[in-house]
Amino acid sequence: MAILEEPIKEVEKLKNYINGEWVESKSDEILDIVNPATQKVISKVPMSTPDEVNEAITAAKEAYPEWRTTTPLARVRCLFRLKELLEENFEQLSRVQTQEHGKTIDESRGETRRGIEMVEVATGIPSLMMGYNLEDIATGIDEYVIYQPLGVFGHIAPFNFPFMVPLWFSPFAMATGNTFIVKPSPRDPISQIKLAELVDEAGIPPGVYNVVHGAADAATILMEHQDIKGITFVGSTKVGKDIYKKCGEVGKRVIAQTSAKNFMVVMPDADIAGTIPALMTSFFGNSGQRCLSGANLVIVGKDDSFYNKVLDAFVDTAAKIRVGYGLDESIQMGPMQSIDGKERALGYIEKGIAEGGKLLLDGRKARIIGDYPDACFVGPTVFSDVTPEMTIAKEEIFGPVASVMRAKDLDEAITIANRSNFGNANAIFTSSGKAAREFQYRVETGNIGINIGIVAPMAFFPFSGMKDSFFGVLHGQGKDVIRFFTESKVVVQRWL
Amino acid sequence: MKLNTASEVISFTKKLEEDSAEFYKELSQRYVKDEDIFLSFVKENKKNIIQVERAYYGVISDALEGCFSFNIDPAKYSLKTELGEKASYSEALERAMDIEEIIIKFYSDAAEQSKSYMADVPRAFKMVAKKRGNRQLTLKSLLGKEG
Repeated sequence: MAILEEPIKEVEKLKNYINGEWVESKSDEILDIVNPATQKVISKVPMSTPDEVNEAITAAKEAYPEWRTTTPLARVRCLFRLKELLEENFEQLSRVQTQEHGKTIDESRGETRRGIEMVEVATGIPSLMMGYNLEDIATGIDEYVIYQPLGVFGHIAPFNFPFMVPLWFSPFAMATGNTFIVKPSPRDPISQIKLAELVDEAGIPPGVYNVVHGAADAATILMEHQDIKGITFVGSTKVGKDIYKKCGEVGKRVIAQTSAKNFMVVMPDADIAGTIPALMTSFFGNSGQRCLSGANLVIVGKDDSFYNKVLDAFVDTAAKIRVGYGLDESIQMGPMQSIDGKERALGYIEKGIAEGGKLLLDGRKARIIGDYPDACFVGPTVFSDVTPEMTIAKEEIFGPVASVMRAKDLDEAITIANRSNFGNANAIFTSSGKAAREFQYRVETGNIGINIGIVAPMAFFPFSGMKDSFFGVLHGQGKDVIRFFTESKVVVQRWL
Repeated sequence: MKLNTASEVISFTKKLEEDSAEFYKELSQRYVKDEDIFLSFVKENKKNIIQVERAYYGVISDALEGCFSFNIDPAKYSLKTELGEKASYSEALERAMDIEEIIIKFYSDAAEQSKSYMADVPRAFKMVAKKRGNRQLTLKSLLGKEG
């Protein structure tokens, strides 16, 4: 199979998108954006100055009054145009993700599709934002609730889904009448620039949607600025907790979706043939760099032959995964997004060996398809004989490293999973409704899969999370995020 | 090499449709009396590509097993589209029947392998396989007329 054409051909310095204008940053601090597969520099991104971040906030604040009074129907018409433009540019947007992040083209197209679905759901705002009322709460007195936007919101984006994650929030923020500032990850900000180009073309008024590049300093300004009403964040628990605390102190709303350590529980009655592909996607899709990835595989039962059957199938299939550049259509797993990410994963592999895990498949020795530098590549890695106390079973690796453990029964599997500090996405593979219900009832995690390896909620459901995987009250997506971006006003009315 | 990813399979589908379209285009030029039928096949091939791609792009999700859905051996579905200069009409029709047989087998296999992952994609594969089945009937009747 041929390598698909790369959409980014020339190295350009990215601009900020502020108040409907493409603004060159005055910053001297400029980072290279590197294609993790080829190690070629594909773009340059400035770390915006504080003044530039403040300009974006001012633009968003000034755009708010007019946007707020634009009718919901008119607001969503902008989103309908955006949706059309996203469809027209679907393939280019997808290939950009592969080029700047490294994921496979199927994964990038999947990300694009899910991002577009957010826009589609947000176009339902004229219905979704409706309040409710009750006549005659007392004689001649009526009471009703109206939902109103709040002002300017900021988003601090992660690197692992450079296109989709900001869309968990921005279309809903804009559709409800708020204005928005995205700070993309400095590692892979190009997707957000491509999106902003389409936002501009869709006719969304200046200042309603802004993109400002930067790292922690820019994020801090967004968090601390008095004109920002709330922050949405997806990233590590450490940073998420800090954002939650800082924003809480000054009364800002926060959605902080953070780290994970997800358990995939395979019951003795599971359909192994159907389960293995789901596990491959779960553990090794996106090179393990997602908060929904499987991390710990728990094989249930005292039967050694079942354990060995699942383990052998898991390892054999993982060993055959084709690792390489994601624009090669035959590739099933791309590189990690950065050298740092790879180093981190390698560190955990060393730790796993040191703590007594049995390394059945060593991703450090993976064969890379094609002539690419191995700077960011780590192949699928599988440890068996892992115990819940080991570091590799407890901490988020954010790489393609699977830890296999055993549990004698479902009760023990749930106990192991619930001992984790995290609660993002656990799954059970079984043909028993009773086992599935018990798992769903007892497991302490926000997203639950039943014979599903990646428990990714659709745009019209909240992206849940618990424990150290989430900080806030309302989640991203669905009705939750609409409530997050609106204040409820209650009116009690009597006409004399 | 086997095709494992959805992207590869969709590209392979496109190639099968385009190669068979070229074949029917040639038949339309060689056997002018049934030109309309063969050109309608060419047109239908284009629609098939759209139908399958629309299904794939419409449901592809990072959460589903897009990179692990298939195990297709492309060698099993290679089409012999070259016709000898002296090939009779009957021989051409028999060749067309063979091509359809192979393509139906491909679509059926692809539908079977993807059925638990992406509902719309196997449905699209099945629908095209059905259309191809109807095409076989048309070819059979043409062959019957040839005696």
